[in-house]
Amino acid sequence: MNEGWLALIQQALSLLFSLDPEVWSIISVSFAVSFAALAITLLPSMVLGFLLAFTRFPGRWLVTNLIQTLQSIPTVVIGLLVYLLLTRMGPLGDLKWLFTQQGMILGQMLICAPVLVAMSQAAFTSVDRRAWETSRTLGAPAMSAIWAVCRELKVPLLLAIVAAFSRILTEIGCSMMVGGNIAGVTRNIPTAIALETSKGDFAQAIALGLVLLVLALILNFALGTLRGKAEPRSH
Amino acid sequence: MATNTAKIIAKNIEMRFEDKHLFSADKLVFEQNKVIHLQGDNGCGKTTLMKLLAGFNQPTKGTIYAEGFAIAPWWRSNSITGKALYLHQHPYLFEGSVMYNLTYPLRFLTADKEQLSQRTEQAIDKAQLRHLLTQAASSLSGGEKQRLAIARAWIIQPKLLMLDEPTSNMDKHSQHLVLQMIVDLKQQGTGMLISSHQTCLLTQVCDHAWLVNNKTVTTDYVSEYTQTDDTSSQISATLNVSVG
Repeated sequence: MNEGWLALIQQALSLLFSLDPEVWSIISVSFAVSFAALAITLLPSMVLGFLLAFTRFPGRWLVTNLIQTLQSIPTVVIGLLVYLLLTRMGPLGDLKWLFTQQGMILGQMLICAPVLVAMSQAAFTSVDRRAWETSRTLGAPAMSAIWAVCRELKVPLLLAIVAAFSRILTEIGCSMMVGGNIAGVTRNIPTAIALETSKGDFAQAIALGLVLLVLALILNFALGTLRGKAEPRSH
Repeated sequence: MATNTAKIIAKNIEMRFEDKHLFSADKLVFEQNKVIHLQGDNGCGKTTLMKLLAGFNQPTKGTIYAEGFAIAPWWRSNSITGKALYLHQHPYLFEGSVMYNLTYPLRFLTADKEQLSQRTEQAIDKAQLRHLLTQAASSLSGGEKQRLAIARAWIIQPKLLMLDEPTSNMDKHSQHLVLQMIVDLKQQGTGMLISSHQTCLLTQVCDHAWLVNNKTVTTDYVSEYTQTDDTSSQISATLNVSVG
């Protein structure tokens, strides 16, 4: 049994280090799609989080709670929604994005945005108001003052980005439904792991799982270091 | 006659928090070349009044506007925020070194860089911060933080400056250093509003007094502590002792 496990891990490592084209194509699709989804949603989501934390407007309570709810919707339900939007009969059918990376990006944007908005809103709500006031009173224009506040919140905001990126990089429901798991086109790490496991080809599944594991370790240790440097603030 | 004196004017203002009436005032003029001691008991609304004049909050009723400041370019808001520099009772220092915090506002100023650099060096000496420049600002004591905040204001040389209970965290030594910078700013024509519920070395620099009492702001309040020739000489003596 142990020898079997060792052999599988050896095969997995060999696939990774021999730069197996199939494995690395899957990894590149995963990262390309998830980075694109994160890059498109990052700024608008942070701005919305900032507005929800700092401004008062009718319906703010409703928007906040809707965003909290969207965070907990299963990704397969979001996949279903995007599928219905992109199917030939759907309102966005003319785009012909179903079973393409663009479709996957759209789906992952819908998964990513609520996490970013909710976590950045929580971060901005926790900020010491004096940071904003000090920056403004020292002559900073509004945008520079927002930047100063973000700088003070770099750890919680980076946490929000990492949490959102982890969620979309590892989600399977939406990618499977909208992407269709087409080899070399829309097959990403989670859909490939599910497929290879069902076929009994554990080596490739383990190789891809290792990539996610190493990434999780790097991100969390980097954040842990940052968090360790941040000192609690007192008056 | 029109003048270029920078001022912030509040007219017929009323401040309420839900049903609680905090204070009202018919007309307040906070202007250059005047140093005002804002008096009143704890919780009477001194900080709220300062934050109204700083543009952080809006009055429930009435208007607040600025005169004598350069008009902002069309792409920037012409609000009163940033016109008068407000220093919190517990100054906020950004994450980073003492030097980062001292030089933070310089990027927003249009003055000559060489001149600003010289002023920064002078401020470091005046506030006796040279040995702390590379330290994290968060590691400073309360008095050192206050010195840093006032040194930062001294570099900017604002037209109007508000200090909220400035001496609450300071020992005598820090008070002397800060007093020297405040006297400098006064001589340079900076208008100041210094809030304090009790008198201290700094309030003796004031030559006018406002009182928040009975939910009204009185501007012609004659304080027993308002500066006289005697207090002037007392300040000079204190400065000579502390500097010497």
